Amino acid sequence: MSTSNPSVHKLQAQFPQAVLGVTDFRGETTVLVRASEIGPICRFLRDDPDLAYDLCLFVSAIDQLHLPNPITSRDGGPCRFVVVYQLFSLKHNRRLRLKAPVPGDPPRIDSVASIWPAADWHERETFDLFGIHFRGHPDLRRILLPHDWVGHPLRKDYPLGGEPVQFTVNRDDPELANLGKQIMDAPTKESDVPPWFSGRPDTMILNVGPQHPATHGVLRIVVELEGERIVNAAPDLGHLHSGFEKTAEHRTYQQFATYPSRMDYVAGMSNDLSYILAVEKLVEAQVPPRANIIRVILLELQRLAAHLIWIGTQTLDLAGTIHALLQYAFREREMILDIFEMVCGARLTTSYFTTGGLRWDVPPAFPTKVREFVDYFEKRLDEYEAMLTHNPIYRSRLEGIAVINAEQAIGLGCTGPVLRGCGIGYDVRKSMPYCGYEEYDFEIPTRPYGDAYSRYQVRVAEMRQSVSIIRQGLEKLKKVGPGPIKDPNRKLTLPPREELETSMEALIHHFKLVTEGFHPPAGEVYSSVENPKGELGFYLVSDGNPRPYRCKIRGPSFSNISALQVMAPGSLFSDLVAMVGSIDITLGEVDR
Amino acid sequence: MDWVTDFWIPVIKAIVVVLALLVGGAYMTWGERKLCARFQVRYGPNRAGPFGILQPLADAVKAIFKEEIVPHHVDKAIYLMSPGISFAAVLITFAVIPFGPQIDLLGRQIGLWIGDLQVGLLYLLAIAGLGSYGIVLGGWSSNNKYSLLGALRATAQMISYELPMGLALLSVVVLAGTLNLNRIVDFQGQWPLIVWQPLGFLIFFIAILAESNRSPFDLPETENELISGFMTEYGGIKFALYFIAEYTAMVVNSAIVATLFLGGWKWPAVLSNLHPLAGVALFLAKVLVVLFLYVWVRASCPRVRYDKFMRFCWKFLMPLAWVNLAVTAVIVALI
Repeated sequence: MSTSNPSVHKLQAQFPQAVLGVTDFRGETTVLVRASEIGPICRFLRDDPDLAYDLCLFVSAIDQLHLPNPITSRDGGPCRFVVVYQLFSLKHNRRLRLKAPVPGDPPRIDSVASIWPAADWHERETFDLFGIHFRGHPDLRRILLPHDWVGHPLRKDYPLGGEPVQFTVNRDDPELANLGKQIMDAPTKESDVPPWFSGRPDTMILNVGPQHPATHGVLRIVVELEGERIVNAAPDLGHLHSGFEKTAEHRTYQQFATYPSRMDYVAGMSNDLSYILAVEKLVEAQVPPRANIIRVILLELQRLAAHLIWIGTQTLDLAGTIHALLQYAFREREMILDIFEMVCGARLTTSYFTTGGLRWDVPPAFPTKVREFVDYFEKRLDEYEAMLTHNPIYRSRLEGIAVINAEQAIGLGCTGPVLRGCGIGYDVRKSMPYCGYEEYDFEIPTRPYGDAYSRYQVRVAEMRQSVSIIRQGLEKLKKVGPGPIKDPNRKLTLPPREELETSMEALIHHFKLVTEGFHPPAGEVYSSVENPKGELGFYLVSDGNPRPYRCKIRGPSFSNISALQVMAPGSLFSDLVAMVGSIDITLGEVDR
Repeated sequence: MDWVTDFWIPVIKAIVVVLALLVGGAYMTWGERKLCARFQVRYGPNRAGPFGILQPLADAVKAIFKEEIVPHHVDKAIYLMSPGISFAAVLITFAVIPFGPQIDLLGRQIGLWIGDLQVGLLYLLAIAGLGSYGIVLGGWSSNNKYSLLGALRATAQMISYELPMGLALLSVVVLAGTLNLNRIVDFQGQWPLIVWQPLGFLIFFIAILAESNRSPFDLPETENELISGFMTEYGGIKFALYFIAEYTAMVVNSAIVATLFLGGWKWPAVLSNLHPLAGVALFLAKVLVVLFLYVWVRASCPRVRYDKFMRFCWKFLMPLAWVNLAVTAVIVALI
């Protein structure tokens, strides 16, 4: 039980009976704990000043049905589910993973939602997808799937396959004549309104979305209004749930690399990288420096592109469709997408990063194009600021709106600009650097007020930092010169085309990689990047096969949008759009 | 009774003016789309005819031939009537606005206005409030929560903004000493009233932006929060009627601004004396300038939040309008 993580000893000392085991793998510590003690353990982990695990990144589970060496429960009996808690300590900059084997059918474990409010939604998701019951959870309903869904899809015995299409329209159907009437007469489903709404007779329930112009996709927000003042607001997710995690279990590691960019489709590069980094950590790939520099440049360009969409859509929400800024932002983003297209042929779903490096090198014109863009963009950013930053109407729409304090934001698991807008300078690029971010000179902009205007300022300042990082990256790229862009390990990356004609070995490697994929060692890793919206992490569990046994995606928007429940009460209905805009979500990644 | 002078000429004038307003309103949609497109680095409509000039026609055809959908849950009579109210209110506003001098046509003296009302300004104020009925009733009868919110906002907003608007007009009356719009135009032969009343002009302009539901004060509509507010349940030609009412209202309001503050058809007198029709052209040019302002503001200002907007009206614009009126009155009394 030797480990590099000092918090484990303290935990063991406090709960000698409850800590069942400690594993260190790839520098990550996993503590196996007894499910019955999960409440006290979590409270201790959060409250003890030497541990201070205040950020709950996700709560999820693993179905061990097909796992060769499943974790057993205390008495050695079979135990199908393991609940996983990924924690982070902002104070000590340390990660810790808890795993608790949960016996029983249905499996039951105590809820930790009272310790980390973030766990509220994550436990609902785990309940939804695995059917694990959390005792003492305030509102244990399905979150991603419809209320009347049968089964729990992430269980390993859940049948794969299509469902019958229900959308065919039969013109002769007598029901069709009453189509409009049905809309009025259908009784409101009980679960449409969360049970914790006040239900006062003088309030009105307003259904915002999923078809609503300011929800940035198919988000539905159930709002309880008193006049124009919001009493309660509850986001209703899942309209875009597409089962990425289930898909990942049925694709090889390389095959799934094309999926993440489909989640947060406005920041495809960052999503790709987050997944690739997790795989690289699992297989210990060596990424050449040139590839890392190019990755950083592309990532920061992607951050600019994502923030441009944010600034455009936020202004659109506040100003209406005619406001010119949206088009300005898209004009600049277009140039970034052109650079992406030049590099890899795709604009949104790039899939340019591959395990161990890049798919191919960038074209020679790349540095010039990027430099041209950066020079041009800085001027444009000044123009945006001239239009918005001191515009009294714009400020009045954002200042003091959508306020969340640091404690609430941390509790809810908010990351990215939402957290930094509360004065917490947490950025994965600094706290757990990847791709050589530690060699770049940049700042993490923060603002203390926690309102929408702080988030605006943080993002604008981030854009300037990104520009500076890109400039540094270009310098480094020049210094490093041409060189390999892939891990030369033939067990991981495809050999170059020329080699196939001369080398039998290369041919075999090629064949094995393409038909079978690579076999990572059994183990589990969590790796995250600073996505434009926050910390995007992938938790991969490998059983030694070329397909992930379990892939949990920690989307930043999922946790960030839960802050709406805290921000909304007491503000005006008009502020709702400012809130959603300033949180900046992509529904593809909220619902995954 | 001379049938020609007392009946046919006014009727023909009214028909010509209504047609001109309709075309003006329709082309304002085109103009706004074109202008906004330029603001947003786009081309705008350019498929129907050269420069997309036939776009309003295409839109009209589309709106007319759309399936007429009346939702099941609306109050049918009021729901169908409301767009008409809005539209009619806009059209009759123009009745007192002089758009040119008296011209000599076929041996008859014909004034280029429809009604030369002694209390023209009062008429304007009276009619301005009518249009809000169309919006309020439309929103209410739609039986839709978003429409309801939009209608409520419209009620409060339009009533509130009539006050600063009236006060700004009062300062015009104090200066010109008449309520008759023809006299007010005559008064501006030397200098337009905007020179003496820059503040009054600003207050009035803000008030008519609010009055005609235009960004940044388009709160009853707010496509991003209330999903078009009072218009949510309207489609096809009913929607088009609301739409054209809004754009015609812009044209009419611009005409009022041009008449009251920019010297109408008369200023600068050097130009308007060249030919009677030069005055009309001058008037049109001023209307276009104000219309451009409308679009410009829309393309560059975020929308004000509803409560702040009301606060702005009652706590800032109203006192300012009072002060403006008082100062004007004192100065006029002293001189």
